[in-house]
Amino acid sequence: MSKIEEVKVLVETGKSKKVAAAVQEALDAGVKAQDILDAMVASMGVVGDKFSAGEIFVPEMLIAAKAMSKGVEVLKPHMAGDSASSLGTCVIGTVAGDLHDIGKNLVSMMIESAGFTIVDLGVDVPADKFVEAIKANENVTLVACSGLLTTTMPALKEAVQTIKASGLDVKVIVGGAPVTPEYAAEIGADGYAPDAGSAAVKAKEIVA
Amino acid sequence: MLTKRQNLMETIKGGKPDRFVKQYEFMNFIMEAPMGAMVGPGQTIVNDWGITFTWPEGQLGGFPVHDDEHKVLKDITEWRKFVKAPSAIYPEERWAAAIEHANAIDRNEEFATCFVAPGIFEMTHHLMSMEDALMALYEEPEDMHDLIDYLVEYELAYAKELIDHLHPDCIFHHDDWGSQRSSFVSPEMFEEFFLPAYKKIYGFYKANGVELIVHHSDSYAANLVPYMIEMGIDIWQGVMTTNNVPELIKKYGGQISFMGDIDSGVIDFPGWTPEIIFEKTKEACERCGKLYFIPGASHGLNFGCFPGVYESNDEAIDKMSKEMF
Repeated sequence: MSKIEEVKVLVETGKSKKVAAAVQEALDAGVKAQDILDAMVASMGVVGDKFSAGEIFVPEMLIAAKAMSKGVEVLKPHMAGDSASSLGTCVIGTVAGDLHDIGKNLVSMMIESAGFTIVDLGVDVPADKFVEAIKANENVTLVACSGLLTTTMPALKEAVQTIKASGLDVKVIVGGAPVTPEYAAEIGADGYAPDAGSAAVKAKEIVA
Repeated sequence: MLTKRQNLMETIKGGKPDRFVKQYEFMNFIMEAPMGAMVGPGQTIVNDWGITFTWPEGQLGGFPVHDDEHKVLKDITEWRKFVKAPSAIYPEERWAAAIEHANAIDRNEEFATCFVAPGIFEMTHHLMSMEDALMALYEEPEDMHDLIDYLVEYELAYAKELIDHLHPDCIFHHDDWGSQRSSFVSPEMFEEFFLPAYKKIYGFYKANGVELIVHHSDSYAANLVPYMIEMGIDIWQGVMTTNNVPELIKKYGGQISFMGDIDSGVIDFPGWTPEIIFEKTKEACERCGKLYFIPGASHGLNFGCFPGVYESNDEAIDKMSKEMF
């Protein structure tokens, strides 16, 4: 197995204690840092697809994301100065009144693994805070907001509409248990995803 | 006309119920039983395990707080140092109201029911956050096994107190095992970590006079049903429509029954109407049928989040009983 293939397998199987050494070995063998990063992003794409298909579960996705972050740590000093992600920055948070952070955290990990820089505003984020974060951070291309409760769906609508009304050039992706593609379209979101794996795919698609 | 209890038993044993079981009607909850501190609307509390919970005003429930300042367990390998079970023994005077309630229940009519929450899986993530708890199952399995054993010991100690004081014949036990779309862990992982825990807990209750175990998990968990049966669950309450309940009834009816198939999110919201509730209830009753099925919202107790929803759901079930029985 090639060094880069080994890294891919270690990320996909969430071997976070072994990835760093494998990435270092790949670098030592002359593999370009960008190629290793691309391989790990591809691995996380596979992980996301398997999650969406019900073949793997949350723990497997979490340990894969952790493995990737260990690999990225080794790569960072070897990346060019402008190593900021080409996909831009994603501002993420749950909307006002909603404290459910598990799904949001999974989406955050998967979107980061897909190549975005993440600015995580946490939970219970008022609509204005999303706009402030877009202005305060560089190259924000995407905002991801979620709500798990039927009672916070109006807050999701307010968040999307406030972001859109700001005139800032960003795409907005939404999700959460009660959210449907129809509701996402109705409130003016650019995209909807039913789970973390699909969110990463949709995120890449709508900022392309 | 059968009593509520008889009608429930006919439903779950594949007999001849004379109407649909109406949501939680067969369970008479002895909520006076002493238990750990529970957060209420608008409150932030620290419970007996040291877990901080907050419930924002106007929202539907409380949440554990897991920032660095509040997380009880930051490193699973150090759980023995940081996780300290409270006493399961409460002063006798704390039991008085519950005992009085238990004694007043007509057990031919209803099941004297004790409410137990949170469950073992929930406790692991309340202590250390969902992400840490789920990763620890992979990364430090031995410590997770030991922590789960410790949590089970506490549950069994509390179970003994419930049994000694109240002699319940039904336990309504919470432990959410999945999201709307999938179980949180794989069936294999569930079998390794949580099946043995619940075999001990539910086995203990059943060995001590509890006739009925109703387990709440308002989620997808169809892939865990064989384990539910093995651990002794009689009724899975909270089964969401994503589980394909008619298929589950066909496959497992007679071994376990299913309560729900009406997702709370689609009937229990600020804009609810009796028409919406009737439509969803009718769909559920028609697709699931009369046996091994109890229609009701997936919500985990005998009330709705919005005034009138629970009662309207009862009325819808009454109408469906008239149509179908």
